[in-house]
Amino acid sequence: MLRLLTQMIRTGKKTEPAPILEPIDEVGENLRNAIHTLYGGRMLRIRHVDAGSTNGEEFEMTALGNAYYDMERFGLSFVASPRHADILTVSGPVTRNMEHALKTAYEMTPKPRIVIAVGDGAIDGGIWKDSYAIVGGVKDVIPVDAEIPGDPPSPLDLLKGFLNVLQGARK
Amino acid sequence: MVASFFVASLILPLVAGVAALLLLRTKAGHMLTQLVFALGGLSGVVGATLFYASDGASTVVFHTALFSLVVGTLSVFFLGIISVGVLLTSLYALEGLRRYKSVYSLPWLAVASAFFIFGMQATVMASSVAGFLVAWELMSVAAYFLVIADGTEESLHAGFSFFIMAHIGFASLVAGFLLLSAGNPFAEWPEVALAAKTMTPATLSVAFSLLFIGFGSKAGLAPLHQWLPMAHPQAPSHASALLSGVMLKVALFGFIQSLFLFPSVPLSWGVVVLVVGLVSAFFGVLHAVVESDMKRVLAWSSIENMGLIFSGVGAAMILRTLPYEAGPVLASSIAIFVALHIINHFLFKSGLFMAAGVIVSEVHSRDMDIMGGLAQKWPIFSGVFLALALAAAALPPFGTFFGEWMYLQSLALALVGLPLPLSVVAGLVLAAVALVSGLAIVAFVKMFSSVFLGRARNEHAEHVGMMPMSLMWPPMVCAILSIVAGVLAFPFFSSHFMDGASIMQDVVIVQGASMNAWILWALIAGLAIIALLLARFLRVPVRITDTWDCGQPLTSRMEYTATGFSAPFRFFFRAFLVSRKEMIVTPISSENPWIANRRLEWSITSTWERLFYRPVGQALLRFAEYARKFQSGVVQMYLLFVVIALVGAFIFAL
Amino acid sequence: MTVTILILQFFLVLAAAPATVGIVRKIKARFQNRRGARITLPYWSLLSLLRKEMTITRHSSWVFRIVPFVVFGSALALAALIPSFAVGILAASMSNIFLVGAVAALGSAFLVFGGMDTGSTFGNMGSSREMTIASLIEPAVYVSLASLATLSGSWSLDGIALFFAASKWVEIILPASLTLVALVFVLLAENARYPVDNPATHLELTMVHEAMVLEYSGPYLAMLEYASWIKLTAMLMLVMNLVAPWGILTSPFALGATLIALVAFAIKLGVGAFVIAFIESTIVKMRFYRMQEYMSLALIVALGGLAISLVSIAV
Repeated sequence: MLRLLTQMIRTGKKTEPAPILEPIDEVGENLRNAIHTLYGGRMLRIRHVDAGSTNGEEFEMTALGNAYYDMERFGLSFVASPRHADILTVSGPVTRNMEHALKTAYEMTPKPRIVIAVGDGAIDGGIWKDSYAIVGGVKDVIPVDAEIPGDPPSPLDLLKGFLNVLQGARK
Repeated sequence: MVASFFVASLILPLVAGVAALLLLRTKAGHMLTQLVFALGGLSGVVGATLFYASDGASTVVFHTALFSLVVGTLSVFFLGIISVGVLLTSLYALEGLRRYKSVYSLPWLAVASAFFIFGMQATVMASSVAGFLVAWELMSVAAYFLVIADGTEESLHAGFSFFIMAHIGFASLVAGFLLLSAGNPFAEWPEVALAAKTMTPATLSVAFSLLFIGFGSKAGLAPLHQWLPMAHPQAPSHASALLSGVMLKVALFGFIQSLFLFPSVPLSWGVVVLVVGLVSAFFGVLHAVVESDMKRVLAWSSIENMGLIFSGVGAAMILRTLPYEAGPVLASSIAIFVALHIINHFLFKSGLFMAAGVIVSEVHSRDMDIMGGLAQKWPIFSGVFLALALAAAALPPFGTFFGEWMYLQSLALALVGLPLPLSVVAGLVLAAVALVSGLAIVAFVKMFSSVFLGRARNEHAEHVGMMPMSLMWPPMVCAILSIVAGVLAFPFFSSHFMDGASIMQDVVIVQGASMNAWILWALIAGLAIIALLLARFLRVPVRITDTWDCGQPLTSRMEYTATGFSAPFRFFFRAFLVSRKEMIVTPISSENPWIANRRLEWSITSTWERLFYRPVGQALLRFAEYARKFQSGVVQMYLLFVVIALVGAFIFAL
Repeated sequence: MTVTILILQFFLVLAAAPATVGIVRKIKARFQNRRGARITLPYWSLLSLLRKEMTITRHSSWVFRIVPFVVFGSALALAALIPSFAVGILAASMSNIFLVGAVAALGSAFLVFGGMDTGSTFGNMGSSREMTIASLIEPAVYVSLASLATLSGSWSLDGIALFFAASKWVEIILPASLTLVALVFVLLAENARYPVDNPATHLELTMVHEAMVLEYSGPYLAMLEYASWIKLTAMLMLVMNLVAPWGILTSPFALGATLIALVAFAIKLGVGAFVIAFIESTIVKMRFYRMQEYMSLALIVALGGLAISLVSIAV
């Protein structure tokens, strides 16, 4: 345990100052400000629904929680139940098997709620467009407020996407 | 005046029994019978009230040369409980029993109840050994007929083991009392006590053990407890309420009464009673946690509560014998716990049995695994049941909690000042009682949630009808009384532990801020007002949706059953529970053996069965094998045995 | 005056509760080489929950709706009864150890009802586990509190804290040390922290407390979360006040002492939160079916503590 602790101390904070070319902090700062003014709360809880994706989006979203991106510092967090969520993120084309699940998850998310389609698959079905196994994009199943394109979108794209949504919602 | 009320309460059940036989199976006959029972109960209640309102001196109720009935302070306490029990259960039976008129023969059931009630009252009032034993036996035999009332295989089996156990107990009671009264069966209690003064400690110990076995087997103490969870649930629910809520108390009464017959109580007896009580409480509550038959859970919980009461009696016996200055004070406060718990256990157990009877008659099963969702159908009744369940779990603000608090507090106070080894024992007892009370919470939380919460798991539970008011109010009265017991116990209690620093030197009163009972109630009321204000303030839109199911539609079969809820306990306490699992596979298709109907059957038996009952049974059988050799069937041989016996008797007599 | 101090303590715990969780999360983030959320975030999350809609399952009954109030009420009672900031105040003699234990048990029983009244397997599973933990930790709770009581000669938490504050630290900490360790076991188990439960998990199968509140939303969720934070804060402050009985407000209540007590409260809360975060960052969660080892260890430590207390008051 001692070795682990010294390791921790020696490693230091990884969040900053990483050699960033991407303006995470800047986007994040804007995001935080946007959240401030939106709910009166300064926190957004995200419930993610994988409606049939390749898991590419999930990898990128997981990366949001790591030491590098550390989305918690902007007031974003993932929650375990749609009943706790403010934002519903949906990835992948909506397969027939997941159609009901997506609908119930949407139904259970308390208002005000935002639905974001993450990735090309979620926007219009992506490379699976018109396949018999899918219902279509997310917007064919539940109302979508915003879309974040990319296959998969990078974590920064995700953050920017959230920012755009919130700025849009503010207006 | 007082005596006539008690005579009425004694005679009226018998009148009811006769009336039931005369009026046969008419509705009016049933109603009249139960009302006469209720009247008997009422006159008992009035008698007890008058008795305590007056000077409370012993009164002779009935007197003949052969035997007489006397009431004193102790017996009127128990008579009051019997009477309240009879009153509530017979009013409940007005409607509750009528639903089962095709199952039971109501007139004969009424006769059995009549003798049962008469037997209990006469047991408590009996003033001599013989009277006591006759009344006791009357009570046991009548209880046997209540157990087998529905005539099913299961009931007959349960009734048989009840009968055997009751008579083992009876035999040891007879032996114990005769030993104590120096062989005079007609001795009055004071004479017995006088006779006991001259006996050797060894004789007294044997007599005590016999009496403890006799009363303990009736009260459901381990290891002679196995019959109780079989027998009590088989009786009709109002009779189960009497059996569990009242008859066990009569056994306790017998035990406490016979304690006063002994000239002194050595330390070791108290230790035995304490340990047996704790062991019973532990096994009772453990089985209550893992059992999923609704009425059996209640029966196991009776074992737990009787165990706790007996452990309290044992602790009080120990504390009285020790040369320890705070001992008598603590012993008397534990005695108060015993008294409070007798009342509280009676209230919640009778209420729960009656409530369980309603549920069973609506759902058509005693299996909690297939109930559920009743709270949506019966909001008020579920509130009543919740109150009773919380009382049974000994949570505030119910009377049970205050009783157990008193017990725990007294045990904790006994830690200080006792010699070191004994105070460590007190610490262990404290831990055991805490474990038992923790597990009791599980048993009743499990019961309430699997019966009332979530979704219905069978058709009957889904389509239950309206709750008739006539069945709802007797349990409701029990629930209200247990809340009242909490409200009244608290001031009484606080004067003992909080203000009464002089009684309990160990209690530090800070700044004279005395523990005022009403502050706690004010706090609770204040919190409730805050909560209501919050509810007003937080008026947000509410939307009714399905349950969150992760996309796979939930059915009621996916819910945790009562069995599932207690799975961790079966695992953690597997050393004390022997569970037998069996997968029964019946093939459906002859071509493919994999297509089969699979059913899991499993049962839980107690370790007592393996370690105690089985070996004893086998030893008896082996003995019987030997004994069989004497049974040659030749008449001359039997005559020879008679002669040998006679000669032996003569030699012994000379 | 005591009423003022009581109200002050009550609202202090209420005000500090979200910050406690915020600090623990912040320190845990630091241990993971992250920056983590601001420690004020839990306040905002409560506020935003209060303004959201509620979605309630159709398979629930009236019990589901009273659960948040009872659980919250039990937490409020703990905040008032447990000596976290001052000793010797009005509610003091009500903080009898058995009463406090029973009030906490009432809260957990109702939380279990909430999890059972949804028809959801997750809620049921969380309820079953919570009930297991809450009941099996009971012996350790009462034995460790009773040994503190024997040591201090008082049966109220208030009197115990007062005794600790009045005694010499070196003399009191040795006989109480084992009991305090047992109390930390109890604290972690009662508040669903590591190694009993993972408060940050998103995987339903590893949940205990979180699984029971999955079906709650909006203000009800806020009440339940807030209740669990209040309980954590109050119990943490109790343990801290016994381990480090300095700066707690005792009578006579002067203004200067009150200020010092406020500072001490903040420092102790910070240190306590750090210790919890430290524990959670360095150990792993136990498998649920190994929980009886934890419970028996807690009980044995508590019994050892009791033995030491008994010996120390005997000599």
